Amino acid sequence: MRKQINTSFQMTALAAALALCYGPALADDTDAELTALTKPSSNVSVGLGGWSNDRNRSGMYDGMREAGGYLLIDADILSRDDATGTWLGLKARNLGLENFELKGEWLKQGDIGASIEYNRIISDSPYTINTGLQGLNTTSQRVVNIVPGQGSSGELGTQRDRLQAQFLKHFGNELKFEASFRNEEKNGTRLYGRGGAAEFAVEPIDSVIRLLETTLSYNKDKLQLSGGYYGTSYSTENKLVTTVGTATFRLSQPLDNMSHELFMNGGYNFTPTTRGTFKVSYSLAKQDERLPTADVPGLASPLAPVNLDGKLATTLAEIGITAKPLPKLSVLGNLRYRDFDDKTPVRQYVFGATPMFNTPFSYRNVIGKLEGTYRLDDGYSLLGGVEHNGQDRTTPTAAGVIRVPFVTKLDTTSYRLQVRKSMSETVNGTLAYVNEQRSGKNYFRSGEAEENLIHPLHIADRKRDKVRAMIDWSATEKLNLQFAAESSTDKYGNGPNGNPLGIQKGTGSFFSADANYQVQTDWELNGWVSLDESKADETTYCGGTLPAPVSCDEGTGGTNRKYNSLKETGTSFGVGIKGKVSSRLKIGGNVEQFRSINKYNQTFTAGVSLPTGLAPTPDITNNMLKFKIFTEYAMQKNTDLRFDLIHEKYNTNDWTWNMLTPAGTSTWAYGSVTDGTTVNASPKQQSTFLGVRFKYKF
Amino acid sequence: MRSLAAGLCLFAMAQPALSQDAAKAPRKDLVLKGDAVCTRCHGADEEYPVLSIGKTKHGTVADGRTPTCTSCHGASETHINRPAGTNERPKPTVVFGKRNGVPAETQSQACLTCHQGDPKRIHWKSSMHASQDVACTSCHKIHTGQDAVRDKMTQPQVCFTCHQDKRAQVNKPSRHPVLEGKVSCSDCHNTHGNNPKQMVKASVVETCYTCHLEKRGPFVHNHQPVTEDCSICHNPHGSTINALLKSRPPFLCQDCHGTSGHRNQAAGLPTGRVASGSSTLNGTVGRACLNCHTNIHGSNSTENNATVGRFRR
Repeated sequence: MRKQINTSFQMTALAAALALCYGPALADDTDAELTALTKPSSNVSVGLGGWSNDRNRSGMYDGMREAGGYLLIDADILSRDDATGTWLGLKARNLGLENFELKGEWLKQGDIGASIEYNRIISDSPYTINTGLQGLNTTSQRVVNIVPGQGSSGELGTQRDRLQAQFLKHFGNELKFEASFRNEEKNGTRLYGRGGAAEFAVEPIDSVIRLLETTLSYNKDKLQLSGGYYGTSYSTENKLVTTVGTATFRLSQPLDNMSHELFMNGGYNFTPTTRGTFKVSYSLAKQDERLPTADVPGLASPLAPVNLDGKLATTLAEIGITAKPLPKLSVLGNLRYRDFDDKTPVRQYVFGATPMFNTPFSYRNVIGKLEGTYRLDDGYSLLGGVEHNGQDRTTPTAAGVIRVPFVTKLDTTSYRLQVRKSMSETVNGTLAYVNEQRSGKNYFRSGEAEENLIHPLHIADRKRDKVRAMIDWSATEKLNLQFAAESSTDKYGNGPNGNPLGIQKGTGSFFSADANYQVQTDWELNGWVSLDESKADETTYCGGTLPAPVSCDEGTGGTNRKYNSLKETGTSFGVGIKGKVSSRLKIGGNVEQFRSINKYNQTFTAGVSLPTGLAPTPDITNNMLKFKIFTEYAMQKNTDLRFDLIHEKYNTNDWTWNMLTPAGTSTWAYGSVTDGTTVNASPKQQSTFLGVRFKYKF
Repeated sequence: MRSLAAGLCLFAMAQPALSQDAAKAPRKDLVLKGDAVCTRCHGADEEYPVLSIGKTKHGTVADGRTPTCTSCHGASETHINRPAGTNERPKPTVVFGKRNGVPAETQSQACLTCHQGDPKRIHWKSSMHASQDVACTSCHKIHTGQDAVRDKMTQPQVCFTCHQDKRAQVNKPSRHPVLEGKVSCSDCHNTHGNNPKQMVKASVVETCYTCHLEKRGPFVHNHQPVTEDCSICHNPHGSTINALLKSRPPFLCQDCHGTSGHRNQAAGLPTGRVASGSSTLNGTVGRACLNCHTNIHGSNSTENNATVGRFRR
């Protein structure tokens, strides 16, 4: 009996003890889970990866252009003091690569905060040059003739080192001050030319851009105001590039310039459905540095100014209103005035047989927009709108500076009609039609009779029709499909003066389909395809005097024409899958291809042909295929191991740097008895990346 | 055995007792002030995990401005207390997403209550996105620690959801470093504003100048389209042609130039090496017209030679 009582007591006690012990433990687990779900999390990942081959084209910006191993370090560390709402963040990306970024942030939410960020942006040229040019990275360069391919090989590229600091401070709930300063140093080299001859040169870059913006915002009830200052400056060490060859040519560079802008924006809610907004700003930009060519003995006329005294004044004023005059009708009205006034004084800079003056251009735009949306039943709505852009363009008054026809007034009016279905659980979509008409007045002819036969691309009379459709369809609970299609046609007129030359017609079309299928809770399939095509037909003048045979050369007079029919088609697709194999193992992968074909079809007036020494330009095909697989294994709750496998294949037959000899395609070299520089674009690139990362989460 | 059973019963009985104690005590807010009434049902097991809002600025309760669930989702009284006689619980007053029957304007108003005063959002209501019924939550995810559209690496994928044509363009050979996360859509576009083409600054040129300030000038010899709009010649989203050009020289240049002299030259590749002084035969290969007209964005040369006005110095 005693033994039975003891056993009973022990069992009962055990059960009671279980209740006491595991109850709190269960609560602890819940707290930990809640913390994981609701508190900011951090992670640091360290890894190694390597590319099997050089990637001249696809590695332009990612710091992994060359084959080899790379250190992969990323961190996203974020903490918050819940009692005070103070955040502390440190973000690092690509720390082992050339294009690394680092950002530190401190924020007492609702009160004060600051951040500082360093970002390196590299741009490696996809080309390899082989040249005899001396002084490659300097402002004094000398062309040295070489046998093509037997010079020094090198690569061009630029690097931007960007430092950005930001600060904000709240004053109560209504007032906020923000400031942002960016300092960006840009160094490097890029492709250039000698100007006086088609020979190779390099543009050396050593410049700094600075941007400063300060804003004070006020927000209370119905009124929002925001005003401040925006200042910019550009400065460069390289003012003039001198290139020496059979002759010496001096290439001017952009000079130091700066601007100051004051701005104010605001909005007021007259009623819950009626809101008025406004914008005003004024900026003044200056470029008044001493012109370097003034200091080269004998180069500039002694009568030429030594300073441009450049001034650009931009004034913006805009008001707008949105309202709901009826329960189902929303309207939007906007009036915008922007005046870009180049106040640089016009002076003569070149003297002699062909005097030349500087060329300030000014524009004044007044844009008015009116749009209304009417809500129909079942989620349908109808939108109609009209926008008119009236532009005044001031004409430079000095003789000889206009080299193409010019208009002093350009009006563009566009009409939009759209039907939309939204808020449906299954199908939503839009169908829109836009008609835009542009016409110019007061054609100003240039001093050259034949130049006046062109109606320039951006001011020619144009009628544009565009149709756009988009459907978003939840076919089943697991399958979502999206379709988009667009078609546009631009027809260019000859203007009031009947200018027959220039672009005649342009068309564009686009189609895409996207699908997303949730196979199971943890598995997802996606795929997409897109097709695009754009065409442009141009009619341009062609020198040479018939009767045939005659080549389209640099002649004058006559009425020969060449007809350019340009076309680009693009075909792209992507397929991807991702999911969880087990509670610890995730996998995923995708394939993407981007392919484009450019056609350059050029025909001539009957009896006219290409000049001797030229061959017709072939089609260009660019193809990029990317294949990616990843696996992520949760070693423990807070550590993951990730493997990445990427394969890229790029090929092109871009002929930009080629010549078409009777023997076939070969790399073109500058000059015939001078220079000899070649620019090599690797037409085929294939590379595989394998990377492993260890990620620690906390 | 009976004792074990009694013990287990005691244990089992202790659980309801514990639960009853818990039920009698008011439920604690898990993340936001007053969220207890919501989190009694909406927890970690939700199809859309709502508790992750705690990881964000919206979940920082020390900031007095932090909203509650009903600040955004509305009072939702019938959702909280299902009316008697109804089989299906009514939805909250405001449900976000494009398939929930709530107008985009109503969804966005929840956000504008606090964010309308942000300098970049003052003009939201007259923006193109607003007029196209794009709501804030079409792009932004609130109940997650990682809002994809606010990260430069993942932002483009969000934009490509509707702007599919840009997906192929940013993969073209000549492009901005969008895929690398160095330039994002929001570096050039303020989708919350109403500037032309939804630019960050008041015009295309001013937006481009934030990185390409050397193009502003003014120059002694300005190239007119450069002063007006960079997108006359360039496609900033991507191109098959170097320098993000829309069309290849000489075709591009002949859209404005091209009558007397070599300006009208035919396009063609040289069949051999060409003298550096020949314009006809150097007009397509290499940098094409820019083999000589190299300062195409403007020239500051005052060399006493008419060629300076043609951007060759």
